[in-house]
Amino acid sequence: MKKIIPLLFCLIIGISMVFQFFIPHPVSTKLNTTINKWVVVLSAFALVLGIGNLTSHHITMIKRKKSDWGYSLVTLLSMFGMAIIGLFFGIDEKSLYQKIYLNILTPLGATMFALLAYYMTSAAYRAFRTRSLEAGLLLGAAFVVMIGFMPIGQFIHPYFPGFAEWLMRIPNMASQRGILLGVAFGSVATALKIILGIERSWLGGKE
Amino acid sequence: MKFFYALTRIDRRLIYLVLTVLVILPFFLKFSIPQNIMPQTKKLFDFIERLSPDDNKAVLVSIDYTPQTMPECHPMAISILTHCFKKKIPVLGVSFDPQAPGLAIEAFNTVIKNLNAQAKTYSDSIIYGRDYVYLGWKSGRIAALMEMGEKISNVFPRDYYNNYTDSLPLMERIKNYRDVSIAIILAAADYPQEWLMYAQARYGLKLGAGLTAVMAPKYYPFLQTGQLSGMMSGMKGAAEYENLLLTAGYTEETGKAEIGMNSQTLIHLLIIILIIIGNIGYMATRKQSVKRQNG
Repeated sequence: MKKIIPLLFCLIIGISMVFQFFIPHPVSTKLNTTINKWVVVLSAFALVLGIGNLTSHHITMIKRKKSDWGYSLVTLLSMFGMAIIGLFFGIDEKSLYQKIYLNILTPLGATMFALLAYYMTSAAYRAFRTRSLEAGLLLGAAFVVMIGFMPIGQFIHPYFPGFAEWLMRIPNMASQRGILLGVAFGSVATALKIILGIERSWLGGKE
Repeated sequence: MKFFYALTRIDRRLIYLVLTVLVILPFFLKFSIPQNIMPQTKKLFDFIERLSPDDNKAVLVSIDYTPQTMPECHPMAISILTHCFKKKIPVLGVSFDPQAPGLAIEAFNTVIKNLNAQAKTYSDSIIYGRDYVYLGWKSGRIAALMEMGEKISNVFPRDYYNNYTDSLPLMERIKNYRDVSIAIILAAADYPQEWLMYAQARYGLKLGAGLTAVMAPKYYPFLQTGQLSGMMSGMKGAAEYENLLLTAGYTEETGKAEIGMNSQTLIHLLIIILIIIGNIGYMATRKQSVKRQNG
């Protein structure tokens, strides 16, 4: 029974949502609206669950004084600190919340991402070697795209921007489309397996 | 041979130092490299250029980038908002990434402060609720995207500032996607694909995108099919849009993307030079090592 009810529920909702997509009738639209509202509310509960899990995990880390438990303390203080500031002092443009966000979180995030430039430059120098024909082709394509997309590419040779754009529009697009189609067919197959109850791992448990 | 071997073993600290200098240099030495405008950026610009306030429709801007990708995507938001407001096209802002609202508010404030400083009359000014609305963030992205096609205030009963959405003058005429001329998604994640699947496939909403350079290649198929009406690709796309605004007379100077693009160009040149140096060293030493193995 513990399995049959969720499976039946999944089957009915799954099939009705598939059919309602193609039926532009007020009843179908109403069903869609109601279910969409439920999903929005349910995903808000998922957020609560996430915060709960994060909190309990980091409290355990602090209690047991596991290695780097100080970071757990920082995580909890930051999370609850921001939540309290936002809840009690507002989130508009002049608020403390927005000031902390713009002056602490934003530069920290941008700095972390900016470090990638160092790693990428160093890695490109060390790893980008023409060890085989395939590596040579990849290197050539990367060169053309990089030079073509640079503003000075047009001055190195007027054909560079056009060739770079062609690489993106034709070979890149063809391979991307192939990947997208593969993913789409895979998603349809997985969705069907879930709706029809063939794939049951989402139910959890081992019974 | 020692020379070629040295080419393959440049100290990474030296690389980091040169990189740092090249990133910082354009901020002090102001120079401009003419941009070659990519067709997808021009298409997006032309789409907004064709819009008129008489259409009685808004441009929906979904600001979904995070602080990490702010240098690439924030100038896009500034340019799109400037373009729309200069053309008196109302803007509806929304976010589906929880990190994004702070940056969305910052983008709106930057543009509005700048434009209102130049405004001479009340009607010239950009007023919240009349000319733009920021709805804020909502969880359950896919369901929210679908429901906004029926009624936006069903998903956002209150805006970011806690006003009742239906009470705002702009929202009296913007009810759902039928009242939106184009939705432009500025993101560093796969959000545009969900807009394509749920908002466009079902409701026929026209879409444009502003993506990080890493994300952009994935969206070329959608440009070719016309599902995306235009796209800004990375910092280059943002710099191109800034240049288009400048050429069209909407702004008097280019913005941060142009300066960032100068740094990026120098770094790309450095990467190209390093790869060439590394390969010369590799080729020369490989021949030697093959000889040693054989002999």
